Amino acid sequence: MSFIPGQPVSAVVQRIEIHKLWDGDNLILGFSIGGGIDQDPSQNPFSEDKADKGIYVTRVSKGGPAEVAGLRLGDKIMQVNGWDMTMVTHDQARKKLTKKNEDVVRLLVTRRSLEDAVRQSMMQH
Amino acid sequence: MEEKLRILEDLNMIYIRQIALSLKDSDIQKKIDYEIRMREGACKLLAACSQRDQALEASKSLLTCNARIMAYMSELQRMKEAQVMQRVARRSFDAGPMDDRSPCKGKVAISDLRIPLMWKDTEYFKNKGELHRCAVFCLLQLGGEIFDTDMVMVDRTLTDICFDNTIVFNEASPGFELRVELYSCCSEEDYSAGSTPRKLASKLSSSLGRSAGKKMRAALEPGACSTTSNGGGATILLPVPSVPGPKYHLLAHTTLNLSHVQDSFRTHDLTITGNEECSYWLPLYGGVCCRLAAQPHCMTQQMMSGCLRVKLGGEPQGWTNVYGVLKGTNLFCYHQKEDMEANVEPVLTIGINKETRIRAAEKDPHSKAQNICITNQYGGEEVTHTLAADSREDTQRWMEAFWQQFYDMSQWRQCCDDLMKIELPSPRKPAIVTPKQGSLYHEMGECVQTPFYTFTEAVAEFEAIDCHKIKPSDTIEPYRGFCCRIMLSLLRSELCCPPITMTGEVTLMRSYLTPPSTGPRDPNHFCHPCDQQPSLDVNFKYSSIN
Repeated sequence: MSFIPGQPVSAVVQRIEIHKLWDGDNLILGFSIGGGIDQDPSQNPFSEDKADKGIYVTRVSKGGPAEVAGLRLGDKIMQVNGWDMTMVTHDQARKKLTKKNEDVVRLLVTRRSLEDAVRQSMMQH
Repeated sequence: MEEKLRILEDLNMIYIRQIALSLKDSDIQKKIDYEIRMREGACKLLAACSQRDQALEASKSLLTCNARIMAYMSELQRMKEAQVMQRVARRSFDAGPMDDRSPCKGKVAISDLRIPLMWKDTEYFKNKGELHRCAVFCLLQLGGEIFDTDMVMVDRTLTDICFDNTIVFNEASPGFELRVELYSCCSEEDYSAGSTPRKLASKLSSSLGRSAGKKMRAALEPGACSTTSNGGGATILLPVPSVPGPKYHLLAHTTLNLSHVQDSFRTHDLTITGNEECSYWLPLYGGVCCRLAAQPHCMTQQMMSGCLRVKLGGEPQGWTNVYGVLKGTNLFCYHQKEDMEANVEPVLTIGINKETRIRAAEKDPHSKAQNICITNQYGGEEVTHTLAADSREDTQRWMEAFWQQFYDMSQWRQCCDDLMKIELPSPRKPAIVTPKQGSLYHEMGECVQTPFYTFTEAVAEFEAIDCHKIKPSDTIEPYRGFCCRIMLSLLRSELCCPPITMTGEVTLMRSYLTPPSTGPRDPNHFCHPCDQQPSLDVNFKYSSIN
C-alpha cells in the first residue's frame, strides 16, 4: 500500500457502515485511530510502508459498533463520509469521525488481506 | 406602481385558486392555500425583522414558498392540460392503447451535501482584506416536492460549504430529475435603497475602496449580475412586495438523475451562474459531493403475496403448501402467513433478479392450473423451482407480479442490486451555538416562558398586534421580535423536516449548562469522542413534521 505523494492512489477498499451508539449523551463508535500527517509514521505498527502517514485503526472494542460493522485492527481508513483521510492531520480525522449530528459513518477501508484476496482470485482465472 | 403590483398579485392568487377549484383536487388546493398563507407570513416577518439573521431566515422561507407555489402552479397546469386532452380524446373516440406497464415509485434521499470552495491563497492564509461573508442554502426539487436545507454562513475561513440535512423525497419515479440549486446572499451591510443615509455616513468615514465600490455599483444595478431574485421567474407571476431585506440569488445549480444514484459518495459538476462582480459571489471549486440513494418500492414493499404450492425435495408428487411473499430480489416461502409476521425464517427463499428466468409450464393434467418454473443460476449450476397456484386467476396474478417486478428492476437498474440504506437523522438535542452579540434575549434582558404556539396562533397574535387590536405594551419592540422568533422557528419547523437549531436562545440557558469537558487527548490512542454535550432544557418544544 505504498504511495507517492501527489500521485493518484489505487487500493482495494471495503465499504463499512458504522452505526453510532448513543451512550447517555455521547455517541460512541467503538474504535481508536492513530496516525495523521502531523504524527510520526515510523511508530505505526500496522503500516507496511513506514513512511505512510495515513489513518490506521489501532484498537477495536469488542462488540462495539465498529466491530459489528466489520472494521478490523490495522485497517487503513481512506475515506469517511466522502471526506478524504489519506492526507489529514490526526485531529481532522477525529473530527470527521465524531460529528455529533451524524448517526452513521460510511468508511472506505483497505487492508492487506483484501489486496491478497483480489490478487489470488485474479490469478485463478 | 405598487398599487398595480399588489392588484396583479391578488389577481394571480385568485387565478391560482380558481384553477385548483375547477380541477376539484382538494389536495393541491389545500397545499396552495397553505403555501400562500406561509408566504404572507414570511413577508410580514421580513418587514418586521430587526436582526440580520432573522431577516435572512425569513427571506429564505419566502424564496422556498415562492418556489413551492410555482411548482404547484405548474402541476395544476399539467393536470388541467391532461384533463382537456382526455376530454378531447374521448370525443374523438381515439382511445389509445391501454396504459403500458408503469414502473413502481421509490424513495430518493440526498444527504451529506458538500460544496468545496476555492479561495485565493492570499485570502485564505494571510487573512487579508475584509471578511466577506455570505449566507447560503440549497433548494432541492424533485417532481412537485421542494425542500430547502438549513442556512449556512460562509466566509473565507471555510474550505467547504457543508449541509448536514438529509432530504428524502417519497414518491419519485425512475426517470426523476432532482434539481439542486445553491442560493447565496451577501451578509454585509444592507445595500437596500432605504438605508442610504446610514450607508453614506459609514462610507464617508472610511474611503471607498475598489472592491467595496464594485460591490456598491453591483448592488445599485439590480440587472447587472442577477437576472432573478427571490424565486426566479416568480417575479412575473408573483411580484415580490418591495420589502427591504436581504435577497438571495442563484449561485449554482445542477440536475441529478438515476444514473447518479449510488450507495457511496460521488462528486457531480455544478453549473455556476453569476460572476466575480456580484455581491453574492463565492469562489466555488465547481463540484458538489453528496450521497444520492434510492429505495424503489419494489425493494422495500411486498409486491405480491398469497398461497402457493411448491415442490420440495426430489419427489415428483411432493407438493408443499407455503405462503409466498415477493419482496425485493427474493420470493420468500413461509409455512404459514403468521410465520412471516412473526419474523420466522422462511422455509425456502428463491432469488428473483435480473438473471432469473420464469415461465409458465404446460398444463399439468393432474392440476387445474399451470405451473410456474423459476430458474436461477447459482454459481454455474442451474436450479429450477416449480410452483403452482391454486387457481388459474392466481397463476395469472403471480405471473403478472413477476413481470412487473422484472420491469421495475429494469427501470431502477442499479438500485435493485442491493437495498440502499436511507437514514433519517434521529431527533437530537439542539446543538450548543455560541450566542452572538445583540441577540434577541439581550434586548429583552429577562427569562420569558411562553407556551407552545401553533403557527396559526402565532400568526393571529402577530397580526392582532400589527392591526393594533391588542394594545401594545411598553415593551412592544422586543415582544414583536419575540413573536418573530416563535414564528420563525415555527415557520421553519413547518417547512423543513429535520429539527432546526435556534440561535440566540442559549443566552437564557447559560446558567443551566455545565461547561463541556474535554478528556485527555493522547494523539495515538484516541478512544471515542470526549466532548460532552450538556443536557439542554429548551423552552420551546417543537416537533419535526415528516
